[in-house]
Amino acid sequence: MRSPRHGGQGQPEIHEDEILGKAYDSRLALRLWRVTRPYRRVVLVSAFLFFPVAALELLQPYLIKVAIDSHILPGDWSGLTRIAGAFLLTLAGLYALRALQSYLMHLTGQRVMHDLRHRLFAHTQRMDAAFFDKNPVGRLMTRILNDVEAVSDMFASGAVAILGDVVTVAGIVVVMLAMNWRLALVTFALVPLLAASAAYFRRQARDAYRGLRTRLARLNAFLQESLQGMMVIQLFCREREERRAFEALNAEYRRAQFRSTAYDASLYAVVEAIGSAAVALLLWYGGGQIWDGVLTFGGLVAFIEYTNRFFLPIRDLGAKYAVMQAGMASSERIFGLLDLEPGIKPGTGPGRAGAPEHAAPEGAPPAVEFQNVWFAYEGEEWVLADCSFRVAAGERVALVGVTGAGKSTIARLLNRSYDVARGRVLVEGLDVGEWDPRALRRHVGLVLQDVFLFTGSVEANLRMGTDGAIGRDTLERAAALANARGFIESLPGGFGYGIRERGVNLSQGQRQLLAIARALVYNPAVLVLDEATSSVDPESEALVQEAMERLVEGRTSLVIAHRLSTVQRADRVLVLHRGRVSEEGTHAELVRRDGLYAQLYELQCGR
Amino acid sequence: MPARILLQHLRPYARRYALGFGCLALASLCALAIPWTLKRAIEALQAGAPAGELRQYVLLILALAAAHGLVRLGSRFAILGGSQAVEFDLRQSLYGHLGRLPLAFYQAHRTGDLMSRASNDLSAVKLLAGFGALSLMATTTAFVGTLIAMVAIDPWLTLYAMAPYPLLILLAKRVNTTVHRQSQAVQEQLGALSAKVQENLAGMGVVRAYTMEAGEVRHFQRLNAEYLRRSLSLARTQATFSPLLGLIAGIGTLVVLWIGGAAVAEKRITLGSFVAFNAYLAHLAWPTIALGWTLSIVRRGLAAMGRIAEVFGVEPDIRDAADAVDLPLDLGQASIEFRDLSFAYEGRGPALRNVTLTVPAGSTLAVVGPTGSGKSTLGALIPRLFDPPAGSLFIGGQDVRRIRLASLRRAVGYVPQDPFLFSRSIRDNLSLAVGPSTAERRAEAARVAGLADEIDGFPAGWDTVVGERGLTLSGGQRQRAALARALAADPPILVLDDTFANVDAAKEVEILHALREAFGGRTTLMITHRLRAAREADWIVVLDEGRIVEQGGHEALLAGSGLYARLWRIQQLEEEISRA
Repeated sequence: MRSPRHGGQGQPEIHEDEILGKAYDSRLALRLWRVTRPYRRVVLVSAFLFFPVAALELLQPYLIKVAIDSHILPGDWSGLTRIAGAFLLTLAGLYALRALQSYLMHLTGQRVMHDLRHRLFAHTQRMDAAFFDKNPVGRLMTRILNDVEAVSDMFASGAVAILGDVVTVAGIVVVMLAMNWRLALVTFALVPLLAASAAYFRRQARDAYRGLRTRLARLNAFLQESLQGMMVIQLFCREREERRAFEALNAEYRRAQFRSTAYDASLYAVVEAIGSAAVALLLWYGGGQIWDGVLTFGGLVAFIEYTNRFFLPIRDLGAKYAVMQAGMASSERIFGLLDLEPGIKPGTGPGRAGAPEHAAPEGAPPAVEFQNVWFAYEGEEWVLADCSFRVAAGERVALVGVTGAGKSTIARLLNRSYDVARGRVLVEGLDVGEWDPRALRRHVGLVLQDVFLFTGSVEANLRMGTDGAIGRDTLERAAALANARGFIESLPGGFGYGIRERGVNLSQGQRQLLAIARALVYNPAVLVLDEATSSVDPESEALVQEAMERLVEGRTSLVIAHRLSTVQRADRVLVLHRGRVSEEGTHAELVRRDGLYAQLYELQCGR
Repeated sequence: MPARILLQHLRPYARRYALGFGCLALASLCALAIPWTLKRAIEALQAGAPAGELRQYVLLILALAAAHGLVRLGSRFAILGGSQAVEFDLRQSLYGHLGRLPLAFYQAHRTGDLMSRASNDLSAVKLLAGFGALSLMATTTAFVGTLIAMVAIDPWLTLYAMAPYPLLILLAKRVNTTVHRQSQAVQEQLGALSAKVQENLAGMGVVRAYTMEAGEVRHFQRLNAEYLRRSLSLARTQATFSPLLGLIAGIGTLVVLWIGGAAVAEKRITLGSFVAFNAYLAHLAWPTIALGWTLSIVRRGLAAMGRIAEVFGVEPDIRDAADAVDLPLDLGQASIEFRDLSFAYEGRGPALRNVTLTVPAGSTLAVVGPTGSGKSTLGALIPRLFDPPAGSLFIGGQDVRRIRLASLRRAVGYVPQDPFLFSRSIRDNLSLAVGPSTAERRAEAARVAGLADEIDGFPAGWDTVVGERGLTLSGGQRQRAALARALAADPPILVLDDTFANVDAAKEVEILHALREAFGGRTTLMITHRLRAAREADWIVVLDEGRIVEQGGHEALLAGSGLYARLWRIQQLEEEISRA
């Protein structure tokens, strides 16, 4: 069997996913804007809320100024109480508005994430087998789970928050200029220094953080390799050397970490120092103005407050920028995946789903026909080369051959997991390319060698793909026919018994019986069966054999056979060798012919 | 035990932490001095003091701000840097400890689980030793210092201002607990969602064959919708939590404005004190809100330390005996002897039963038999990957359990069934053996393993990086590289565990001949399922269900009608078919 599939949960690819581009890309932004369409009202409301929030924020220092100048210094207690009341109202209002806004922003982010996840998952379900060969499970999981998270963050704390900061900063600038433009200019004089040092430290911190991530990835890769290859390390007495090499990486990581910490801490220290410097400057210049009677004490206190509120958004701009950048990079990867189209186009031909036609009328086309089929998973490495055969309606055909002869490939071509390179695959006389894929796959049932059970109840596993239109009695009948009813009913919860991942809580034999029951419920007209090679205990083996016999009975079937008994019962045996049918006939005929089949047969018996 | 290990790793940095805490205390002092200076300046302004005095206060604030920045940085460098040093040491100890644990440990623990302890849990411990310690200390100094300063200004005002704090702390803690619970629920659902996606993508073949796509999307949607629901309840809690900082600071301001303002009006305190008091209250907002977060860092850090301590608690059971001796082997003494050896893996039935067998020094023994017959176990016991019972396995006449591990493993070149190559250059992979592994020795080893020509053909020759992050070698190439790696150490004993499974039969025989020519005289135990290769050995042992069922030379065994003869016939047939 050739399966170029990469399974398992690979590590998220550091290289591809670490690339950060622009924080803003108009093409991507437009597509993202379209994604938010159902929630546009929420987005607009949360954006609009910035104005009252900014207004209340601006009002607070002003209230303090009024309190000091008009009530505290003149000793007007009742006026002070009124101002305190107003201040309380602004506090309550700000809290409520901020809470509402935070919720609305998360609401949009989460909903957009939910929708994108749905679209991505549904999209992968439309993709063909070749797509999954090229895209390892780990990468697709990163798209569906992590990348959408970054996009959600962008809505919750990136793009919209930047807008809010702009509104607040602009408001403060206007108010300060209006109150006392000279003093305002003193504060603004520090802005270039603040912005420049924040930008500098932020950039250094970001680069240091990236360096840190690379070092950590290296360290962990080394550690993982050591854990996997510990036996080799011990056999070659390399413990000390490996430990030294690990120490070098560990030290590098520690240095990178310290660098990152240093820049982070410096950023906050510098911003805070500049904040204090601003207070000192205001005190110095404002003190002079108070002497001159241009400024009141309240005005000075309010200015100090405004300055504090003014510096915070400038400091945090860099962090929000990074969120935007990550979100944009992720959305680019998401849209890249959504833009991929499946290579196999669904046929528009008649969907012949429904009741399987067991008895074929006279002169009907063969149920399955391969006409000079060529196929390669990659390039010109032909797995099937000029392969031709027919299976008549109601016929039972066994397919044999050594590993790698192309047996499983035939099964995959029949349900159009892949398209042929040359030649034609016909089902009921119709090219598989012309079938509606769903109808084709209802008609040609593929029971795979590798019994893949899903997490969920036994019942859900039996109902797979039948849209729940099947009654419980049908399920029970199928289970009984498949010799599975006995063990199912002995399980705690019977048909409701929860199967764990890949059926680890069932025995090998039980899994095979369930697979047969599942196929009986699915009830396809043409059955393609990839027989299990793995052996089960003799008792289960007898049950499996009997169940298999009932499944195949009265149905057109093509069985990739690994058991001698299966071959002996077949109407016809096809021997596949080097990608084509090299011998065919009944078991007895082939044994007498003394060709490849006879040797295979002898080998079977010898074991 | 976990706390003990942590303390042990903290001790070397006691001074560093003391310095950090000292800096932190100084930083708090500076932070408190700035509002105090502001207070004095405003008082001076009100009193109409000369410009010179005001300038002094301004300069003092600037100096305090600079000093505050510096000592604050100092405290972070000391404590966060200290926590990074602790993490470094812990990681190094852990790595060293892992290097001593036997193969059985690695078979019982998944790599992912160990990785998570050595990486995520270690980070949590670092957070505890760094930000956790810093934050606990900073919160304490902030509360103590600020309270003292506030009481100095006006005890009553302090009492009023602090009145809402117990409630606020309680509230912050409660919300924090809710946030924690709800994020757990979100994480859990994310786990379910990712398990679903993983299962679906891995089982895509079945999904397609049974046209389950629509049903799968529906199922995914159910999980996805539940994830949305849980995330939104978390968002609701967070929405009440995140503006809390502003509210707490605001309430302080309100109290000061109203009650403090009245005090200023009544001339009980100065306007300067009023301003300073306000600044002090603002200092308290962040530590209050961060208290819950700090406590959760401590809790998580301790739990993580517990998981790491579990690994430290595993004692390596394969190690040097107290009276261990070196193995002074020259080629003539490297005999291997099994004396009535029985062995079982923990919790399983016997893998080997009563095996008695001698491999004379310099001879080659082939071990054959069906899968699961105990062949690999026999080989793995020789370098003590698993420990044989005492008195059952002797090398050069010495019980292996009394031989120093390093000496034993240097003497035994063991080539495993599934060779593991490191993602390094082919040169580094072939120079794993400690000692003088010269270029000639490597080249000779590569030649014998039939790898020399291929290495020359690699893009960067000997410098080509192989494995996961480099050139992907075929199974056969990997096996031959592993053989060359063992040969480069020039060991007197070779154990080849089905080393040529992925090498074609003709090549295998070729390698065996080259091996005999260049490395003749090594005592060799060759485990193989190919009888054509076994034929090259001096003596053949057939194992079945852990017992020796047949032994002898090739011809003699073939003449019998036992397992060996039957396996031989099957293999002949297989070869014919593959040639057809």
